[in-house]
Amino acid sequence: MDSNKRSDAEEQSGPGEQRASPARPSFGKKQLPSIPKNAIPITKAASPASSTQSANGTHASYGPFYLEYSLLAEFTLVIKQKLPGIYVQPSYRSALMWFGVIFIRHGLYQDGVFKFTVYIPDNYPDGDCPRVVFDTPVFHPLVDPVSGELDVRRAFTKWRRNHNHIWQVLMYARTIFYKINTMEPLNPEAAVLYEKDIQLYKSKVVDSVKLCNSHLFDQPKIDDPYAISFSPWNPAVHEEAKEKMFAHKRRPDDYNKGLPVSGLSWVKPGSTQPFSKDDNPLQT
Amino acid sequence: MSWLSRLNPRGPGTRTGRHAAPSSPCTADPETCLMVFENHWRQVSGVLKRRESSVGGCADDLTAVRNHTDQMLCLLAEERPAGGDIESPDCGMSAAMGPILEMVVAENILEELVQWHVRHGLDPDSQLELLKLFEMLIGQSHQPLLLHSAVLQPLLSLLGACVDPQLGCPSALESSLVLLLNQVCVSMVKETAILELLFKCGPVQQGPTNLLIFSLLVPFIHRDGSLGQQARDALLLVMATSASNHAVARYIAENSYFCPVLATGLSALYSSLPRKIEVRGDDWHALRREDWMGVSSLVLFMNSLEFCNAVVQVAHPLVRCQLLDYLHNGFLVPVMGPALHKSSVDEMIASTAYLDLFLRSITETSLLKTFLRFILLHRHDNDTILDTLLTRISSNSRLCMVSLSLFKTLLSLNCEDLMLQLVLRYLLPCTHVMLSQRRAVRETDLYGKSADKFLSLIPECCRITSAPSSERDDEPAFWGKVLGSPTSESPVHHRPSTPSRLSLFIRQQSSGGQANSSGSENAPPSPRGSVSSPLSSDSPMHQLPDTSEGETGYLEYLRDARRGIELCSWGCRDWSAPYDGENPSPTSVPPPPPPPTSNPSLSMVPEHFSVMDPAQQRAAVVAAARSEWSSSDRDSGEWDVTISKNCISLTPRSKKRSLLPSTVPLQSSASASTEITGAVETVSQHPHSAPHPALYNGMGQVEFTDSVDERMEVKKVKRESDVNSGVVESGMNGSMGMGPVDFKDFHVGSALKSSQVQLKPHLQHQTSVPSSTQECLQSESQRLSPVLGLTETSTVPRDNRAPESVERLIEELLERAPSEPLSGDSKGQGISIEAFHQELRELEERVRERRVLSHSSEESSRESRTAPAPNLTDEDCLPVETERRSSETKPDSSTTGVFSPARPLGQPLAQPYTGPFITVLFSKLESMMQNSLYVNILLTGVVFQLACYPQPLLRSFLLNTNMVFQPSVKSLIQVLGSVKNRIEAFAATHEDFPVLLRKARRFLVARGKLDWSDSPMGVPNLRRSDSLIKSRKPSLGDLILRHTNSPTRARHAAQLALAHVRDGGQSLHSALFRGGAAGGASGLEKQAEALRVKNAVYCAVIFSEFLKELAALAQEHAVALPFPPSQGTEE
Repeated sequence: MDSNKRSDAEEQSGPGEQRASPARPSFGKKQLPSIPKNAIPITKAASPASSTQSANGTHASYGPFYLEYSLLAEFTLVIKQKLPGIYVQPSYRSALMWFGVIFIRHGLYQDGVFKFTVYIPDNYPDGDCPRVVFDTPVFHPLVDPVSGELDVRRAFTKWRRNHNHIWQVLMYARTIFYKINTMEPLNPEAAVLYEKDIQLYKSKVVDSVKLCNSHLFDQPKIDDPYAISFSPWNPAVHEEAKEKMFAHKRRPDDYNKGLPVSGLSWVKPGSTQPFSKDDNPLQT
Repeated sequence: MSWLSRLNPRGPGTRTGRHAAPSSPCTADPETCLMVFENHWRQVSGVLKRRESSVGGCADDLTAVRNHTDQMLCLLAEERPAGGDIESPDCGMSAAMGPILEMVVAENILEELVQWHVRHGLDPDSQLELLKLFEMLIGQSHQPLLLHSAVLQPLLSLLGACVDPQLGCPSALESSLVLLLNQVCVSMVKETAILELLFKCGPVQQGPTNLLIFSLLVPFIHRDGSLGQQARDALLLVMATSASNHAVARYIAENSYFCPVLATGLSALYSSLPRKIEVRGDDWHALRREDWMGVSSLVLFMNSLEFCNAVVQVAHPLVRCQLLDYLHNGFLVPVMGPALHKSSVDEMIASTAYLDLFLRSITETSLLKTFLRFILLHRHDNDTILDTLLTRISSNSRLCMVSLSLFKTLLSLNCEDLMLQLVLRYLLPCTHVMLSQRRAVRETDLYGKSADKFLSLIPECCRITSAPSSERDDEPAFWGKVLGSPTSESPVHHRPSTPSRLSLFIRQQSSGGQANSSGSENAPPSPRGSVSSPLSSDSPMHQLPDTSEGETGYLEYLRDARRGIELCSWGCRDWSAPYDGENPSPTSVPPPPPPPTSNPSLSMVPEHFSVMDPAQQRAAVVAAARSEWSSSDRDSGEWDVTISKNCISLTPRSKKRSLLPSTVPLQSSASASTEITGAVETVSQHPHSAPHPALYNGMGQVEFTDSVDERMEVKKVKRESDVNSGVVESGMNGSMGMGPVDFKDFHVGSALKSSQVQLKPHLQHQTSVPSSTQECLQSESQRLSPVLGLTETSTVPRDNRAPESVERLIEELLERAPSEPLSGDSKGQGISIEAFHQELRELEERVRERRVLSHSSEESSRESRTAPAPNLTDEDCLPVETERRSSETKPDSSTTGVFSPARPLGQPLAQPYTGPFITVLFSKLESMMQNSLYVNILLTGVVFQLACYPQPLLRSFLLNTNMVFQPSVKSLIQVLGSVKNRIEAFAATHEDFPVLLRKARRFLVARGKLDWSDSPMGVPNLRRSDSLIKSRKPSLGDLILRHTNSPTRARHAAQLALAHVRDGGQSLHSALFRGGAAGGASGLEKQAEALRVKNAVYCAVIFSEFLKELAALAQEHAVALPFPPSQGTEE
């Protein structure tokens, strides 16, 4: 109940509060979601070298494109995964930093709304695994009680390009709240309590969730136009955004009416024969 | 509904316009009007009664009746509905009738009048008079007159009386009749009840069919001019009104000839299209609106096609289905099919370009489906149309270009069925991939590895920034600095100041001005391309000297790629399967058709080169090279190249022109025999000065005739006098220039009039099969009925009372339709002459060829670090290369190059085969060095478009450079690698390659810029094509690569840039022959060599840009999001 309300509030974040959700209009463009005001997309800002048209020289000069596109591709994968309750948004300043929020819908951490930041090493994809740091250290065996950093490395001992993807990290960050692992904890207290005194653990968790949620409407820790921020439900701002969100249908960037007939197919599903679909010509 | 919205204003528009004038009397008091009316009627009825008994008829009576009738009908037309409700004059029955109308209805005045006339014997004069009166009445009346049978019946009587069931409508009455019918239909739209009335009161009348209005209009469907337009508009109104009326629809489908006439009429119109498309530039490859607007026969055809499209759009499904069926069986199969299989290359070019145009013009999905079904499934001589079209890609340049253009159009449809047949079914079994790699099919280029691989293939020699300078960044005019000044080269390569040189200069000026004005008049469209905007601000003239080489920003390519992929995946969102290597399952799919075992399909490209021995081929190659050279030179307007037995003479253009007739009036009756003799003459004089001699093979002498001179000259005159001078393009049978020359009024509509049927000479050959076509048509119509579930009448589709005239009309239409490929044309003569000349060349050539070959083969074998194809070793590859070496896309490549490298003969069929489309594209890519610039532009455009498809099977095959294919499968990257090696080998042997490269770039940039300033209004009206063609414009890379859509603009640009390029050619000459010409190379060889160099240099530019495009595509695919299916809700 409570969580529903909150996730509603979250869903209806206003135009100023950028947040990644699969329904976002701006996902149509693969440029990172545009900022409403006058910000330029990250593709230009993040790596200045790329914005110069340096395409003339050796292909080495395409390097910046590769990193950005790799991260964009990772981001695209995240979207395609449709991870439940997880939203991320690359930062405006650097494609290597993503803001995220995770909604826990049941279990011990039910109703928790945890904001976090993903830091991607700049030698990605050949470096270490990305780091995940919660804005507020959640009480959890695998979360550092001081820094709020999640122990990601245990799941990705060696980051292997092509095999490991950022969505897996996000998935992992969600899983820890449902399946609690106490091995080699970053927060030994939590680990011990979980093993020995589950009731106390539970109450600590409830406190931690409350604490996190009480800071929900705080200004983002990192000042960035794309940082995720929450605000109380304000119909004037959010109602319209919500409408748009539901009504939105993504179309090609410069889709216009005069465009070709699209979706031409007369192939019956399951068949590979052309014109195999029974079409009833007498139907309009 | 575009048609309707266009139509609707028409009725009221004409109406108010006309009714403005007599509106003054209508202010008169209604009672006075009634009195006047009664007075007239008294007098008329006096006459009518008087003459009741004694039928002799004196002129006075007639005049009197006429005058009174005139007055009466005017009064009736002016009358307002009773109650003076001017607010809603057309609100129908709700308003009471005005007193005059009441009287007319009560006393059945109109009927009496008409009957009197009929009894009296209607002379054409009175018929005309009455038709006009009724038209005025219906058009101007403020009351819905046709709702009253007292008006409707006499109208129908009149129509029945005017139109002889046997002879149709006398020609003098046509325009009045059609106008009247049009008015009736317009009022019908306002009062749909009229349709019912018309339909119901039909049988009472003497008219042959229920819906007399309709059947009277049908014969005018294909008329040209406003008459045809009015008739089509009116018919369309009937269609739209009856869209929901099953009875009327059924009547139209079963009892009218609407659909057959429409479909077979297309056939007739098609048959009068030019058999040969006179091309104006070597970049021409598709018909744009500007191209065909001046060709009346094509305008006529397109009008009818557009009409079909509109009917399909608005008509009742019953009618639509019937029409589509007739189009398939009455036009596509009997006419389009054979036309596409004509043996003459010119006709192939024409029919392919027509098909392309038609496909671009159609907007209705079901009509498109009919066309696609025909292309994909219909078999003509055992091959599907698609197969046939595919083989054409491998042919020589013009046919290849037109075919590529057609395939570009096809690809742009994003049609699953098409893609399945074309590519996907060959990839579905996944046998092209190593088993272990199948999972990789779905992977995208996450880390830019494929992109990197593509970019790494840009030849070192093409990285022009490796120039000495250090500040290569952000200096747009960098290249301009280095070689910007146009004078930098001219002192070195000084040319004698010939008259033609002067004329070039002048033309340059004028064309510059022209381009200028056109640029300014349609204010810079300034599309989003920020990179290029600085370039567009200036006039091309000013810019040219110091323009950059156009460093094409990679961002632009990324944007282009993104757009391409998005549009494509949007277009594919309703496909039945993802084609990702799992769905459809590789194991469940039927095996794709095997590759051709020998080259049976190749034989369909009837080029005599393909059956020649290698030596002849080589000679032919040289000959073609020669002509290509000459044609390009000719385009420059400077030289005419005449090649006779052993020498080539370059004649200054202007001088030669004066010797030749500049205009050749076309006689449709031109006799074929004279042309044949003419042909022989021309051939011996200028055997190879046609742009693409090979195109002339296999074409009957008839087409061969007019070659060269006239055409060139006409073209030139046109260019200079800017058309419209009434110059008539020369003609052999029906072939004609595409320029906006008012060619001749092909009065196809006249076929409808039994009196004047014009059969053009070339059609007479073909009238041998009309009956079979008609049989087919008839059986078709019989077959059709059950299909539609209308069994009652299936055996007797035609009403016995049907008028003979319609029968005859169809017959005529069919007779005019070509039904079989011309078999009578012997092509032996032309061939032997060609072959003879080639043989003569052969000896000369062989020596030289060998020498060059051995030289460069060393190079390339050293260079090729990876074997281009698993089964294509260097030894295999080189001969092929040499055979093609100095040609652009030679026929020999179609025999030896196309299929064999990819899949040698005798290979077991179980071998993976990626299909003919991929094969032919790859082989064409492999010969990029030899292709002409324009072929390469189109070719890379097609591959680009293919690579936009998001289906993992296709995407991984083309763009995943890490995939491991089966050894026998050639990958795109392998093909590109071999091209790279050849370019590098070439560059290594030409020390001034960098200079040439820069010039080539500059030329392309200039060309693109000019084209870019092309007006958005100049966009062809073809709804689909324009968006597609223009879509690629704004990016600078595009400017370089692909603005193929405006030959004229391109031509201006070409002329602007010509000096440089020409200097380039010159320096290239000197570079080449400084060392090589010691042995006294003939001019011919020089030209062949120059052409080879030219093609190679352009290829290097295009190739590099193409690699950037592919890299961008690979990257963009990785970040593309699919679109959800539309669920039929959208549009």
